[in-house]
Amino acid sequence: MLGRYIKSVGIAELLLALSVLILVVVVAVPVLLIVWTALFVDGQLNIKDIVMVLSEPDTYEALKNSLVIAGGVTFLSTIIGVFFAWLVSRTDLPFKNTMKLLFLIPFMLPSFIGALAWKMLLSPRSGYVNKFLMNTFGLEDSPFDIYGLIGIIAVETMYLFPFVFIQVSGALERMDPTLEESARISGAGLLTITRKITLPLMLPSIVAGALLVALYSLAHFGVPAILGTEVGIYNIPTKIYERIYQSAGSFDAIRTGTILSSILVISAGLILYAQSFILKAGRFQVIAGKSMRPTLLKLRGLKMPLLVLSILYIAITVILPTVTIFMVGSLKTYGLEFNLENMTLDNLTYILFDWKMTKDAIWNSFYLSLAAAFVTMLVGTLISYVIVKMKVRGKFILEFLGVLPFSLPGTVIALGVILMWSGKFGINLYNTAWIIFVAYVARYMAFSLKSNSAALEQVHDSLEEAARACGATHWQALKDIVIPLIKPGMVAAFFLIFLPALRELTTSVLLYGPTTRTIGVAIYTLNEDGETVYAAALASIALVIIVVGQLVIKRITRSNVEGV
Amino acid sequence: MKKALVFLIVLSFVFCSIGSVSFAAEKLMVYTSMKESLIGKLRDAFVKKYPGIAFDYYSAGAGKLMAKIAAERQSGRMTVDVLWHSEVPDFYQLKGEGFFEKYVSPESKHIKSTVKDPDGYFTPARLGTLGIVYNTKKVTVPPKTWQDLLDARFKGGYGIANPALSGTAFMSIAMQANSLGWDYFQKLRANGARIGQGSGQVVDDTASGDLKAALGVDYIVIDKMQKGANIGFVYPKEMLVIPSPVAIIKGTPNLGAAKKFIDFLLSKEGQTIIAASGTLPIRSDVPVLKKYGLPTPDEAVKRAMKLDYLKTMKDKAAIIKKFDAVMKVK
Repeated sequence: MLGRYIKSVGIAELLLALSVLILVVVVAVPVLLIVWTALFVDGQLNIKDIVMVLSEPDTYEALKNSLVIAGGVTFLSTIIGVFFAWLVSRTDLPFKNTMKLLFLIPFMLPSFIGALAWKMLLSPRSGYVNKFLMNTFGLEDSPFDIYGLIGIIAVETMYLFPFVFIQVSGALERMDPTLEESARISGAGLLTITRKITLPLMLPSIVAGALLVALYSLAHFGVPAILGTEVGIYNIPTKIYERIYQSAGSFDAIRTGTILSSILVISAGLILYAQSFILKAGRFQVIAGKSMRPTLLKLRGLKMPLLVLSILYIAITVILPTVTIFMVGSLKTYGLEFNLENMTLDNLTYILFDWKMTKDAIWNSFYLSLAAAFVTMLVGTLISYVIVKMKVRGKFILEFLGVLPFSLPGTVIALGVILMWSGKFGINLYNTAWIIFVAYVARYMAFSLKSNSAALEQVHDSLEEAARACGATHWQALKDIVIPLIKPGMVAAFFLIFLPALRELTTSVLLYGPTTRTIGVAIYTLNEDGETVYAAALASIALVIIVVGQLVIKRITRSNVEGV
Repeated sequence: MKKALVFLIVLSFVFCSIGSVSFAAEKLMVYTSMKESLIGKLRDAFVKKYPGIAFDYYSAGAGKLMAKIAAERQSGRMTVDVLWHSEVPDFYQLKGEGFFEKYVSPESKHIKSTVKDPDGYFTPARLGTLGIVYNTKKVTVPPKTWQDLLDARFKGGYGIANPALSGTAFMSIAMQANSLGWDYFQKLRANGARIGQGSGQVVDDTASGDLKAALGVDYIVIDKMQKGANIGFVYPKEMLVIPSPVAIIKGTPNLGAAKKFIDFLLSKEGQTIIAASGTLPIRSDVPVLKKYGLPTPDEAVKRAMKLDYLKTMKDKAAIIKKFDAVMKVK
């Protein structure tokens, strides 16, 4: 009896210790190593080097570009996201529910595939749209040039605005309508209501969405790599990539990388701090429990124009690039006209069945995402459990470590993983799939923690206490009460990790070895090598996998929710 | 459902661990800058001949290969067995560092090349040539000389691959700077010439019309021409001929397989595959693809621009820096 008690507690405690250990080893130590490497040379604090690296025009320029891109993308995404959220939640726009789903689609598209498509459409001399406009209107110069900061900001905005859209449309729908109504009864006009009531109430959601966009775009690799490097525009992740590849992997380059990474981490920290600061300034109970729908604004004459605008937006940002990718992916060679004679399915069959590199890439991405999603889900559940349910001292360290990966850019994680796992501490995972696996676990831990914590918070402590009172061990209570209740959260975490990992680029591009290319890396290197049609063909396969994956998730999560 | 998921996950872990360790008797990992259209065909023929060898390759620009190798040397976990790319100075450099295994293939007596290592640490396995690839829709009169590219008709439309990424681009720049002088590049820049990405991308950019013309590597251009791209290809009289040496990494556990691969590469069979994909063989007893204007190896060696490889090895960083400085001025 006693033995069993010890044994069962032992398992729970062991798993607990294990998950804490994983968090420390996978997340904390690599980050500390980055800061350590940036600050210290041969064990001595070296500020001079840091100042030198930062005052180089190259690095300074990259830092500036990162900030300009993040600023521009955040600003535009917020405006577009809030506008469309308002349109689908608070007006009588026709086909609202369909439109709402449509606005979530850009979220599914990997932004670097979008960038690839826009490069094909809007590159100065050969872009299809440019060529069309030049031929139609007899222009001398191309009207658009996608290369450069403006192009990068535009393309990132297209695929990132749903972050804001989701947050704001959710909040708008759940908003207590009595607040606006009382203002109206008191004689306030629509503008005043919007300015004084609705916007302030929405501020937390807007800021939360904008923050996600800012964090993401600050450290995004794919779009600037495709649309910037060609014209000499680098942001921090692309600069780190270039440095590491051009310097033949010398330690100097890695050190420069760590200094730039530290700046990314600091910027991310500042963004998070700014968010909490803004949110503290005005905190309201905005969401009422009553099931009242806010009044809808009648668009009247604007109804059709706004519907057309929304549909056009989707057509231009989603359908046009997707179709372009599929069309180019079936061209015999890049630069030919689109007609049946020049189209072929050979690229697809070649990539799927004949070319080892692309076959490997699809397979690598698949098993890496599966393994990372599963492990991260389990570890995340345990850590969330400690954070949410347990009353242990020193919990705040776990909480901090849990939030940390959330603000860590993929590039930083990749560098940390290189420092940690290439033999310096006894384990050498360099050039193996394991190093990417470890990086994925670190990178997606935050997703798992968020999803699992949310699920756990809904399980009232009394349920578990009741089980314990009836004589169940800790482990039994966990297994029979808590886990079944949070299963939907765990499943959600699994897929929240599996799908993004499947198309991951930023981290794996710094970690891949000869046989461990991922789908993202393969598409990127194919594009870089000038195999544009193969890059497009592989991208179309990736898009199909992603769409099918999303549909499967929808089915699974739905049946799971019903099951509980 | 649950069982299937667990099974998949276990499976994925198994693959995670064997991703890097294969069970075949002999293995061979070749790092090469040759693109899929060339190395893929060689792989097929080699594997057919030696089914017992698990052959794999990593194809990327010379710059990336060298970066990967440097990182591998630092981490002490070497994956590469054979190195084959076109940045000749790198081979002198690595030979000097004692990084190569000495191997003189019985086939090497047939070799015609501008480069030969008397000590036998590396062997040229292909004669790469670069010419001017141009978009046939945008350029009606093909350029004939390197000087033609300074014409107004190529304004803002000539591209050279980034020498930091591409070995052939670096070698070409070193040769042209040597024969035509740096002010040739200054004039190109004044005519709006651009630095592109890798050696493949400048060709694709020319095919799409983004560039009017570019410095193109023979077999990359010919592969796209065979697929019907709207491009033409010419060699000016002074030719850019760049041997691509192959070498075995010292201490490789797969020495036998590595030697077999090099023998195969230099054999008549291997060289025939190389010639058929549109680049020059290093043997005169293998016919070249005449259709696309390729010269014979003998003629190419005669017309080649001269270069002091040992000096270029020492000046490599300076040459790239100078080129960047000339071309990147805004």
